[in-house]
Amino acid sequence: MARAAPTPGQKLSFIFFVILSSLILYIDITSNNFKSIKNGFKSFKISSSYIAKEISIEPLKSIISLSKSKSQLIEENKDLREALELSYLNNYLISKENIFFKDKEIIKKAHNENNYKFEYDIAYLKSIDPNMYNCCDKHRMFIDIKQNSDNLYVESVVFNTEGLVGQIIGESKFYEVLLLTDISHSLPIKLNSSEFFCNAKGSGRSEYIICTYNPLVWTKEIKENQIFYTSGLGGIYPKDIEVGYVSSIEVVDSTQTNIEIKILANPLNGNIFGVLRY
Amino acid sequence: MISLLKRLFLIIFINFIDLNIALLFSKIFIIIPLTFLAFSYYVYKSDKNISSLEAFSFGFFVDLISDSYFGLNTIIYCLTTYFINQNANSFKLFSYLQICLFFGLSASAYVGFSQLIINLYNFSYVTLLVSSFANIIFCFFIALIASYFPKRISIKL
Repeated sequence: MARAAPTPGQKLSFIFFVILSSLILYIDITSNNFKSIKNGFKSFKISSSYIAKEISIEPLKSIISLSKSKSQLIEENKDLREALELSYLNNYLISKENIFFKDKEIIKKAHNENNYKFEYDIAYLKSIDPNMYNCCDKHRMFIDIKQNSDNLYVESVVFNTEGLVGQIIGESKFYEVLLLTDISHSLPIKLNSSEFFCNAKGSGRSEYIICTYNPLVWTKEIKENQIFYTSGLGGIYPKDIEVGYVSSIEVVDSTQTNIEIKILANPLNGNIFGVLRY
Repeated sequence: MISLLKRLFLIIFINFIDLNIALLFSKIFIIIPLTFLAFSYYVYKSDKNISSLEAFSFGFFVDLISDSYFGLNTIIYCLTTYFINQNANSFKLFSYLQICLFFGLSASAYVGFSQLIINLYNFSYVTLLVSSFANIIFCFFIALIASYFPKRISIKL
């Protein structure tokens, strides 16, 4: 369809608007009369874009970042926890304040001579059956030693940030650890005064080992909450490492007394372990 | 009313693209006034004559959203509208090449005029010439797209 050519009236209106525009342009260039309009529009633009962003993009972004940050936080938390456990483990042996060794002088000497002989490798928990640990006799766990050199780890001592956990008894893909509480485990222990020695066997209950002795042979009186240390007699565990404290004493008969010792370390606390080489 | 709003939003959208690509092309001395070309195309494709008031209003609105001097776009928009209205029937006799040349050169005129107003002390003939060339090519490119690609989307203004 053909468009009609502008009438003289329309031409005049175009001329009028061109002159008006020119006037406005001149005024705008030479003065700041339109500044308030421009500033008002700018503020409107900024605030409306802000509101639009808040309504449309921000909720989406927050949902995305929430899902992202959640998994990121979990990952970070895992990493931090691992780093923290490692630092605990690292500090555990070399700290003068720890309870690992009875003789704090060992640490002090090593610290002064800048020579730490307590070498250990880091191991990660691969599997442990908590139900079995809490209910039954067989207390085992499997660990994966990370700084695996050519060392033979069988019979090496395993500890965590709380204390001794057990010893390695088997080596396949992962290392099998016989926990202190396993009924087939036997740990030579002694009192601080070295006047009492006994072999503490695993009780089959979590966190407890039992020391059975003949009171006619060992006349030293044992009290509750007394602390027991490794005696170092078995050749597996180093001497003078704090094991636990007496939680109860049961006199079976005149020739047998059972001491129940609550051990310090719980293998279920933490996933990182140290494997002591000495 | 809806049609007017649609046009305004379209102008805002094109102006937004215009401002964004201006940064990119200014490094190679090219200015492609997308908003102006879009408005010219709207006037060209319109079935009826666009009034001077509408051209003035659109020009004023573009001045406002593009933060340029008030009156700069209104003058050019009014003149372009008048010229297109005047020659609307003649354009039907023109080839695509001639129409593209017309739009390309009018875009160059826009660039020259706006540069005279807003960039007088750094007015560059290189920018003007390169922009003219780029605008003509751009119009050809748009015409080619329109001719050879199927019209799946049609925006009714």
